[in-house]
Amino acid sequence: MASISVRDVEKRFGNGPAVLRECNLDIADHEFLVLVGPSGSGKTTLLRIIAGLEAATSGEIYFGDRLVNDVDVGDRDIAMVFQNYGLYPHMTVRNNMAFGLRRRKLPKDAIDQKVREAATMLGIENLLDRRPRQLSGGQRQRVALGRAIVRDPAVFLLDEPLSNLDAHLRLQMRTEILRVHRAVTATTVYVTHDQVEAMTMGDRIAVMNNGLIQQVGTPEELYDRPVNRFVAGFIGTPAMGFLTCSVNRNGDRAELVRDGVCLRLTEEQSRKLTLPHGAAVVAGVRPENLRPVSADGADPELSVVKGAIEVVEPLGPEQHLVVDVGGEMVTARVDRDVAARRGEKVSLAVGAGRAHVFSIDSGEALL
Amino acid sequence: MAVASAPAPTVSGGPSLPARRARSRRRTPVFDWMALPAVIVLAGVIGYPIVRAVQLSFTNSNLLSAGAAKSVGLQNYKTLFTNDPVFWQALEHTAVYTFVSVAAAALIGLALALATENLGGAWRILRTLMLTPWGVPVIVVAFLFYYMFQDRGGVVNQALTSLGIIHTPILWLGTGKWAMIAVIIANVWSTTPFFLLMFTAALASVPNEVIEAARVDRAGPMAMLTRIKLPYLRNAAVLGSLLMVIQNFNNFPLIYSMTKGGPVYSTTTLVIYVYQLAFDQFHLGFASAVGVIWLIILLVFAGLFIRLMRTNPA
Amino acid sequence: MTAVAAPVRLAGPGRLRRWRPGRAAVVALILVGIAVALAPVYWMLATSLKTPFAATSLTPSYFPHHLSMSNYNELLVKGVVPFKTYLANSVLTSVIASVVAVVISALAGYSFSRSRWRLRGPTSVAVLATQMLPLVVFVGPLYLLLLDAHLLNTYTGLVIGYTSFAIPFGSWLMKGFFDSVPVELEEAARVDGYGRLSILFRVVIPTVIPGLLTTGVFVFINSWNNLLYPLTLITNNSHQTLPPGLLDSFVGEFNTDWGGMMAAAVLTTIPLAVAFFAVQRYMVRGMTAGALAGT
Repeated sequence: MASISVRDVEKRFGNGPAVLRECNLDIADHEFLVLVGPSGSGKTTLLRIIAGLEAATSGEIYFGDRLVNDVDVGDRDIAMVFQNYGLYPHMTVRNNMAFGLRRRKLPKDAIDQKVREAATMLGIENLLDRRPRQLSGGQRQRVALGRAIVRDPAVFLLDEPLSNLDAHLRLQMRTEILRVHRAVTATTVYVTHDQVEAMTMGDRIAVMNNGLIQQVGTPEELYDRPVNRFVAGFIGTPAMGFLTCSVNRNGDRAELVRDGVCLRLTEEQSRKLTLPHGAAVVAGVRPENLRPVSADGADPELSVVKGAIEVVEPLGPEQHLVVDVGGEMVTARVDRDVAARRGEKVSLAVGAGRAHVFSIDSGEALL
Repeated sequence: MAVASAPAPTVSGGPSLPARRARSRRRTPVFDWMALPAVIVLAGVIGYPIVRAVQLSFTNSNLLSAGAAKSVGLQNYKTLFTNDPVFWQALEHTAVYTFVSVAAAALIGLALALATENLGGAWRILRTLMLTPWGVPVIVVAFLFYYMFQDRGGVVNQALTSLGIIHTPILWLGTGKWAMIAVIIANVWSTTPFFLLMFTAALASVPNEVIEAARVDRAGPMAMLTRIKLPYLRNAAVLGSLLMVIQNFNNFPLIYSMTKGGPVYSTTTLVIYVYQLAFDQFHLGFASAVGVIWLIILLVFAGLFIRLMRTNPA
Repeated sequence: MTAVAAPVRLAGPGRLRRWRPGRAAVVALILVGIAVALAPVYWMLATSLKTPFAATSLTPSYFPHHLSMSNYNELLVKGVVPFKTYLANSVLTSVIASVVAVVISALAGYSFSRSRWRLRGPTSVAVLATQMLPLVVFVGPLYLLLLDAHLLNTYTGLVIGYTSFAIPFGSWLMKGFFDSVPVELEEAARVDGYGRLSILFRVVIPTVIPGLLTTGVFVFINSWNNLLYPLTLITNNSHQTLPPGLLDSFVGEFNTDWGGMMAAAVLTTIPLAVAFFAVQRYMVRGMTAGALAGT
C-alpha cells in the first residue's frame, strides 16, 4: 500500500543548474531500495524530495495512488534517519522516541509500550533515561532508528545513516538495519555513497550520477549487466579495469585487440556487437575474471591481457595485482600463493565471454 | 534501455500520469511574520523618529512649544556650517575621543591577548581578572573615575604626588586638555576587555596545524606573530573596531556623567552637543539638524567598514 | 632537521623552562594588566567600606582602617537619597525590557537564520543598521512621540525605549545561536509532524537556552546602563532609574559624599557583574558568529 513512484522529477535550486533530471523510479511496497552514487550525484536531494523536506521543481511523487507533492512532511506517514541522527539534545532517549507519537495524541500507555518495544528490539532499554550526548555513536544510531520505527511508518527513509560510524560498527549496524526492516516491513529508501553497503543491503539499487538515475536493478543485475561504464566502474571492489581496444572481426567471431591484449568474444556476443572492423571500444574486465597463465604456452583460443605488475596488494586470503597494460591499469584478484613481484611481466587469462564492452563516446554498454 | 524504469515488481495500479505540472513550486514568500514584531518596534521607535528628526531639522521647533514649530528651510544647516564653532569643535572632540580610545583599547587588548594566549588550566583566571572592568556598568565607571580624578581628594593625584611624578595637583576634570584625557582613560579602562576577548577568541581559532607547520618551518617568534597570527586576527580587529567606533561615537553616559561636556565644551562630543541643544536649550530643530549631519557621517563610516570586511578573503 | 623549536605554546608561566627576556615581559604585562584592571574596583570597594568621615578625607588612605557599613546603611535603610526606589525602577524596567526584547529578538533571529523569504536580506541588514544609529538623534522625536501618547514618566515608555534599542543586536545574537543548531533537528521534528511554532518552541529554543540567556543579559546590561532615555523621558523621581538618579544625587561641584557614591556604585555593579560573568563566554561567540556570518 505504500509503493513509491517518482515521476519525471527535476530539481534546481534557485536559478542554478539542475541537480536532478528526469528522475523516474518505482519502489514496491515493503521493498528495500538503495540510492547509491558519489557525492553530488543528487541522491540525498532525491531522498529529501521523497520525504517532502524539499519540493521538486517539477514532476510528481506518489505514495501508492496518492499524489503527495503538496502533502506536508508530517502528514506523509514517513520516518527518517538522518546522517547526523538529528536527535533532540535536550530530551532523554525515551522522549526522543516518544516525541513523534505525542504529536499524534496517542494515549500515554500506548506510547510507553511502543517505546519499550522498539527499545527492546534495538537493545537500548537501559539507555532510555540518558540524553544523546551521553551516548556513543552506535548507541545514537540505534536511538535514531528507534525513533523512526516507533512511528510505524509506511515509508522509512535513511540518509547515509552509517557514515559517521567506524568500520566495525558499520558492519554491525548494517545487519541491524536489515533486521529492523524485516520486522517493520515498511518500504525503505536508503541513501549511501558506499557501494558495498548498497550491494549487501538493497533488494534493488538505483545508481545515481550527475543528477541522473543511471540504472535500477538487483545487485546481481548491476554487477553482471551494468548499462554503462559509470555503473560498471562504480559497482564492485576492486573496480572493473577498462582497456581501450579496437574491434577485430574475423569471420563470425570478433576480438577486441590492442598491444598486449586480445579479448575473444563468444559467438553470441560477436553477433550482438554491431560495430564494424576497426571501431574503437572500451573493454571492461572484472578483477576476479583475470587469472595468471604462463606467458608462452598459451592456448590461442584464450583471451589474454599482458602487462607489467605495478602494485601488489596482499590481503591475506588473496592478493590484488594492479597491472599496467600499455598505460591503462587493470586489477586482477589472484590466489595468495601466486608469486608476483612488482615490475614483473604477467599474462592474465580472461574467462570466456567475461569481457564487458562499452561505447567509447557515450560509455553505454554495447553487449 | 534499462535505465531508470527498470522492471518494477509491483507498481500497484500505477498512478495515472496527467501531464500537468506539479504544483509543488511553492513561491518564496515575500515576508515572514516572525520578523514582524521586530520590524514594527524598530519602525515605530527608530524609523519614525528618524523621519521626524529629518523633518524637524528644517524647522525652528522648540521642545517647550513643540506645536508652534515653523519651517525655516535650510536655515539650521546654514547656521551649522557657517556660524557654529561648537559644532566643529564637537566633531573634532568626537573624532579624538573615538579614535584614541579605540586605538588604545585595541592595542592594549591585543597585547594582553597575546600575553595570556598560552595560559593553561587554572592560570586562565588571570585573564578573567583582566576582564573585570567589562562587568562594571558604564555609569559606575563614570562615577569611579570621576571620584579618582578629583583634583582634591582624588586618588590619582595622590598616587602621582607620592610617587614624585607631579608636585602640584592636576586639575583633571577642570581643564580642557586633561578632562579629555581623563574621559579617554576611563573609556579605555572600560572597553579594553572587549578587545581582549575578541582577540583571544580569534587567536584560539588559528588552526593548530598552521602553528605547527610554521614551527616545522622554524618560524621565529616575530615571524610567527606577524606572518601567522596577525593575519588571522584581521577580521576580529576590523569587526571589533567597527563595533567600538560606533559605540564610542554614540557614547553618552560616560562623558555626560564625568564632565557634562565641560569644562567649556572641551569634552563636548556630538552626542553631548545634540543632547544639550535639545534638552538644555530646547532648540530641537537645530539639534535635529546636527543629528542628521552626524547620522550621514556615521553611515558613510559604517559603509566603508562593511566594505572592508567583505573584501577580506575569508 | 624538523626538530620542533622550544615548546613556546606548551609552557605556561607555571612551568617556566627557560627564563628569557620575552617571557619576563609577558609576565610583567600580565601583572600590570591585572593591577590596572583591579585597582579602580578595589578603590570603589575600599572607599565604600570606609567611615563617611574617612571617605571625605582630602588625603584618603589606601586601606580602610575601620571597616564600616554605614555608607550602605545610609543608602538602603535611612534613605536621604531614594536609592531603593531607583534600584527597584531599574530592576523592573530592565527585566521587563529583557523579556520582551528576547522574545521579539528570538522570533526575528530565527527567521533571519532559517526561513527563506524574499525581503530577508534587506530586512536583516536594515535591522542591523539601526544598531549603528546614535540614540540621541531620535531621542528628541521619541520624546515628542511619547508625549503625544502620554507615555512620558511611565515604565512603559522606558521599556519601549530600551527594547527598541536592544532588538537589532539581540536579533543578530540570536541569529548566531540559531545558525549553530543543526537543521536536522528541525527536519526530524517536521517528520514527526510538528508545525513551525511547535518546532521553534519545543525543539529549537530548548537547545539555545545559553543564547536566550546571553541575549537577555545583553539587553539587561544595556538597559541598566542607559542614562539618556530615563534622563529625558522621566522627570518624576518616583519613576527614575539608577543612572540619572545617582548622577543627580552624587555628582556635582559640592558633593563630597564619596563613601555614599561608591557604595551606590558597588550596589549598582553587583547585579550586572553577576549576570555578566555568567554568560561572558557565550557573549563573544554569539557576537562574532552573528556579526561575521551576517551581511
